[in-house]
Amino acid sequence: MEREPAPPLTGTALTARNLVKRFGDLTAVDDVSFQIRPGETYGLLGPNGAGKTTIISMVAGLFPPDSGSVDVTDIRMGPSSLGAKRHIGLVPQELAIYPDLTAEENLNFFGRLQGLRRKDLKSRVALVLDLLGLGERAREQTKKYSGGMKRRLNIGVGLLHRPLLLILDEPTVGVDPQSRNSILEAVAQLSTEGTAVLYTTHYMEEAERLCDRIAILDQGKVQAEGTRDELITLTGGVDRINLIGTGRMVAAAESLRTVPGVQQVSGGGLSGLTLTVTDGPALLASIITNAATAGMAVTSVELTRPDLESVFLHLTGKALRD
Amino acid sequence: MSPVAAIAGLEVRRFLRDRSNIFFVFIFPLLLILLLGSQFGSSAASTRVAIAGGAGTTLEKALAEQLTSDRLQVYSGSPQAIREEISRGRTDVGLFISEQAAQAFDDGVQAHMEVLTASQASGQAALQKVRASVQIVSSRQSQLSALMKAGLTGDAARAALERSKEQVHAPTIDLVDTGDVSQEFRGLGQFDLGATQQLLLFIFLSSLTGAVALIQARRLGVVSRTLAAPLSARQAVSGLALGRFGIAVVQGIYILIGTALLFGVDWGNLWLTALVLAAFSAVAAAAAMVIGSLLDHDGAATGLGIGAGLVLAGLGGCMVPPEFFPEPLNTISSLTPHRWAYEALADIQRHDGTLADIMPSVGVLVALAVVLLAVGARILLRSLGRAL
Repeated sequence: MEREPAPPLTGTALTARNLVKRFGDLTAVDDVSFQIRPGETYGLLGPNGAGKTTIISMVAGLFPPDSGSVDVTDIRMGPSSLGAKRHIGLVPQELAIYPDLTAEENLNFFGRLQGLRRKDLKSRVALVLDLLGLGERAREQTKKYSGGMKRRLNIGVGLLHRPLLLILDEPTVGVDPQSRNSILEAVAQLSTEGTAVLYTTHYMEEAERLCDRIAILDQGKVQAEGTRDELITLTGGVDRINLIGTGRMVAAAESLRTVPGVQQVSGGGLSGLTLTVTDGPALLASIITNAATAGMAVTSVELTRPDLESVFLHLTGKALRD
Repeated sequence: MSPVAAIAGLEVRRFLRDRSNIFFVFIFPLLLILLLGSQFGSSAASTRVAIAGGAGTTLEKALAEQLTSDRLQVYSGSPQAIREEISRGRTDVGLFISEQAAQAFDDGVQAHMEVLTASQASGQAALQKVRASVQIVSSRQSQLSALMKAGLTGDAARAALERSKEQVHAPTIDLVDTGDVSQEFRGLGQFDLGATQQLLLFIFLSSLTGAVALIQARRLGVVSRTLAAPLSARQAVSGLALGRFGIAVVQGIYILIGTALLFGVDWGNLWLTALVLAAFSAVAAAAAMVIGSLLDHDGAATGLGIGAGLVLAGLGGCMVPPEFFPEPLNTISSLTPHRWAYEALADIQRHDGTLADIMPSVGVLVALAVVLLAVGARILLRSLGRAL
């Protein structure tokens, strides 16, 4: 799903400045800064242990940073900053709902904690249940729900009080593809309605699909930040084509170097040839024809376009799921 | 509704909704009180007298009628069964009527009966009551005999005796045991003592085992969601503490009302009883907070809760009345909150104690609650941090 561009900047929903958090000798978050505008979805992409949840905890005011600051709109966030907390909705990674309560009761309880009054609470609960598609089973204990339904309710609790900033910590972990898709669509919808979203994930596809801007995190540090396209340019923005086959590999390599758009050809042994090209899909047909003409019988072709995985690999020297 | 009240209300609602609590929180305490009261409760009506033999004879009928009118529990059985009941302490006195005795009674001559008494102290007191009843029956039969020998018909003699019974009241025997322990329990209803003991035992036990909810809240992640809402950590802890207190109070009120309605337990001055209940519930709630904050494992918390709940109850006089404790155990007992609450409730129930009388006990309970609450809140606050 293509994302519409974020609305024009009208103030800042969240400003995190030079956040540092240490646990003993471990520096979990190291000088992290970023801003999120209203209607913008900002992604924190990194492997497990990169510091995403620690950042979120500081942004949500669960504990203070050792140094640095978080401002929600222009209110300083901290464990006792009730004013700032009113503007955020937190969706923790765990299913933070009571299994022995119904969906309606869960929403009512957390709504009261958010300060929603009786009438407003009732209408908001009904609205969120409808939005989540849980209306028919609203009075059923949530322990009887499927994993996807629980996840949806988990998000619904965070949305209940119409926060300016919605913080989602890996909301699709352990969710079936259908529910996952529905969650991602709901988040995208919120963003278009003007809600600022801070979204952590280690799923590259989710970050690419949802986020206007992405910070790539590793070992508590922001390795790079920008839009998807900006991040991809960091890798040089080129495609990679792997040709596997038999026959005159060296001659084929020589021939392919002359094809316009091919920047580099390497290999030539049993592993085949690896080509670096500017526009892989457009060149694919002429590359296979040239290789065949030069005497190589191509048995397998693999085109790899640059993605955030490549960016992460490029920046850290390791795969995202390592 | 304030966030503190919302959290506390949720805790109580979840406790009441938990089906596993239905038996142990609501049914079991009353069953136990019924059982203990039936077996060991003290009451005038609980003196049990068994009659063996002589079924349908004048002597048997006269004895049964008189014993019953003297408010003794009378039943019939075989000699062997009655001997066994007496040896087990379930019957106080056994009367064995032989055929000769029944005949002698009918003939108006001296009749001899075998009497068997239970060995416990109450047996002797019961024997005195039975003797008095037998004496009345014997006198009436002698009078009847004398009147008939004087020329009255049987019916006329009986009618004359009935009239004299209405005009002359026979002396009654009121046995008083002057022992300290007996004096202490004097006037208590059959279920009163057991109800007091089980009230304290179950308030504490339910609170401690309910501490698991605090562990579950941390594990479920609802703690982080709660703390991300616009309320302070202190408010969250206050809500959880108030919830524990609410659970203890619900358990206490249930037993108070249940025993009063079902077993006629006299709790004395209700306001003072409520004060003791509140102070003791606060101690129980604070203790539950300590357990729920220190431990991270449900099983360990439940085990510790049950263990500590039963041991403290035992030491505090909720199993065997502390009046029977030897001196060293008596001293140890005073270290438990149960003992202080027991003493305060005993003052109210047995001696019409006033606020001034129970203040020392309530003061100790309040002090204990304050200390435990301070410790519990501090550890709970830290445990919430651990959960994030």
